[in-house]
Amino acid sequence: MSRIELVDLRKEYGNVVAVKAMDLTIEDGEFIVFVGPSGCGKTTTLRMIAGFEDPTNGEIRIDGTVVNEKEPGDRDLGMVFQSHALFPHKNVADNIAFGLRMKKVPQDEQAARVKEVSELVRITHLLGKMPAQCSGGESQRIALARTLVTEPSNFLLDEPLSSLDAKLRRELRAECDRLHDELQKTFIYVTHDQEEAMTLADRIIVMNQGEIVQQGTPMEIYSDPVSYFVADFFGNPAMNLIDGEFAKSGDGMEFKSGHFDIPLPAKFSAVTSGSGTLGIRPENVGIGASSGGATIEREVELVEPLGKDTLLYFETEEARPFVAVIEGTEEVKRHANVTINFPDDAIFLFDANGDRIR
Amino acid sequence: MAMTKTQRRNAFSAFRYLMLTFWLLIVAFPIFWMVSTSFKPDSEWFAWPPVYISENATLQNYLVVWADVSEYATNEKGELQTYTQSLQRPWEALGNSAIISVIATTLSVLFGSVLAYGVSRYQILSEGRMFQLLMLRMVPPIVLVAPISIWYSSLGLLDTILGLVMLYFLTTLPYAVWMSKSFIDEVPREMEQAAEILGASRARTIWEVVLPLVRSGLVATFLFILILTWSEYLLALLLSKTAVVTLPVELSKYQGSTEGRVYGRQAALSVGITLPLIVVGMIIRKHLARGFSFGMVRR
Ligand SMILES: Nc1ncnc2c1ncn2[C@@H]1O[C@H](COP(=O)(O)OP(=O)(O)OP(=O)(O)O)[C@@H](O)[C@H]1O
Ligand SMILES: [Mg+2]
Repeated sequence: MSRIELVDLRKEYGNVVAVKAMDLTIEDGEFIVFVGPSGCGKTTTLRMIAGFEDPTNGEIRIDGTVVNEKEPGDRDLGMVFQSHALFPHKNVADNIAFGLRMKKVPQDEQAARVKEVSELVRITHLLGKMPAQCSGGESQRIALARTLVTEPSNFLLDEPLSSLDAKLRRELRAECDRLHDELQKTFIYVTHDQEEAMTLADRIIVMNQGEIVQQGTPMEIYSDPVSYFVADFFGNPAMNLIDGEFAKSGDGMEFKSGHFDIPLPAKFSAVTSGSGTLGIRPENVGIGASSGGATIEREVELVEPLGKDTLLYFETEEARPFVAVIEGTEEVKRHANVTINFPDDAIFLFDANGDRIR
Repeated sequence: MAMTKTQRRNAFSAFRYLMLTFWLLIVAFPIFWMVSTSFKPDSEWFAWPPVYISENATLQNYLVVWADVSEYATNEKGELQTYTQSLQRPWEALGNSAIISVIATTLSVLFGSVLAYGVSRYQILSEGRMFQLLMLRMVPPIVLVAPISIWYSSLGLLDTILGLVMLYFLTTLPYAVWMSKSFIDEVPREMEQAAEILGASRARTIWEVVLPLVRSGLVATFLFILILTWSEYLLALLLSKTAVVTLPVELSKYQGSTEGRVYGRQAALSVGITLPLIVVGMIIRKHLARGFSFGMVRR
């Protein structure tokens, strides 16, 4: 049983505030993923949990005990660094055994556990090699094994896969998932990759400028983003976000931008006029037959068949095209005029500050 | 006719080797001359045209210098000349040099690397302070001699081994700090933190992770400073010349106005001064190549 609590945690570097008043409780066995733009304080948070940075203010509790004053090695944590940080002068087996040796585990037990864990991450064939002779993906597994072998209750992983190519990333992502299932330990994982976050997390923590802006299950974050930033970050292809104006129209409200003038559903009738953003996920855009909601006519700019799905691109005023996803079986020709349908409950509105309007 | 890529590469490579060979000749010639002269009999020291490789090679110079074989020789005017052997103590000088430079270098690298670790990891010295440290080396040594002489004479350190050890230790410390810092900086912080979070103590982390990675660099630093202290002449001459004589100072004694210039003997002594460094260099050459190429750490 291991629960990590961050209480009013703050970190300043000179006059840069890296983390502002963070409150977060991480339950035993949870897979937590931190996401957010570069510089938002993810690494700093992780390093404070690990004990490499002293918080300017606030407490870190593990199992109810304040650990602010404990050394990193005494916090029952394992950390996998983005750079792997393997010891280049020790062979793979010695790298993995390092933590056991530090904890004075008997020699024969060390060997047994190194063997066991290297089977778990499938690197038994590398044990005699030096780290410099291993590929990026192999190094990543070794780094993981070195941490796993000491059996900490909590794993901290700072963008562990970011240096790998897409295919290897998917592979090791699945591996991480499998390990979490198998070990039932707490994982705290930092990433820039929305797909990694969506597929791995029990709970996603979205950070921006040193603060948590939203947290929830991947589905919650996906279906109910609190801000433009969150809406934009999650989902692939990304949500269509059109900048424009909210204006009165009859007894309701209307959204106006050069290419898209859309009457807003009744629930938005109290929206204040002024500039803002309308968002709709490509997979929620209806094409052809109307299923209720506003419709407009547009010419298809580009058709991208992906097999199962087909992407339709429409011209907008902005650099980013408007995208719709339809079934691969449907046929739409380039330059054809189609009806674009905005179902009422698929429309998201954001105000000029990027906050969600409900 | 235009050259193909391969031809161009070959031409470039030939040019490079030509330049390197030229450079090597310039650098190696004095060494060759020293070795060659050390085997020449007296008559060939000043011969014109110069003798490059003596046909009457002799060990006489070595015997006189190192085995204390008394000898008579002729000077430039052809007069018989005896050497005042009593003034010359090459073995003692070798011993002094060895003790002084090894102790001073060890201290310098030891303290320097510890200081460098603190600077690299804990910023115990600001960049300004680090630069000031290096500035110390920009003071011409001769400027230091007068104040240090006065200070040393009142402390009783003139003409003592301790006096020179202290002086060499302090004057080479900036090099030791700067050089070893550049090696320590190459070891990523995360490597140490990885060890720490796996339960290693600070001391253990330094011993098992940092030290093996900077060992070659420290060895290179050691050799560099050893060469400096081993061949230091000016301070040794002015602060310590009667009771404690080092090899470079000893060498100057074979060049007196009354004795004439005894090039052969000087050359034989010089070979003796140079050999230990070459031997040390050979022993640690594995480290040197690695130390100067930062080969161990892959980022
Ligand atoms: N050692 C430091 N000294 C000064 N400022 C720092 C230091 N470490 C981090 N910062 C600052 O703190 C803020 C948060 O940095 P942090 O590394 O936590 O961001 P991050 O979310 O991990 O970003 P990335 O996604 O790029 O890794 C940044 O503005 C950064 O410049
Ligand atoms: Mg980071």
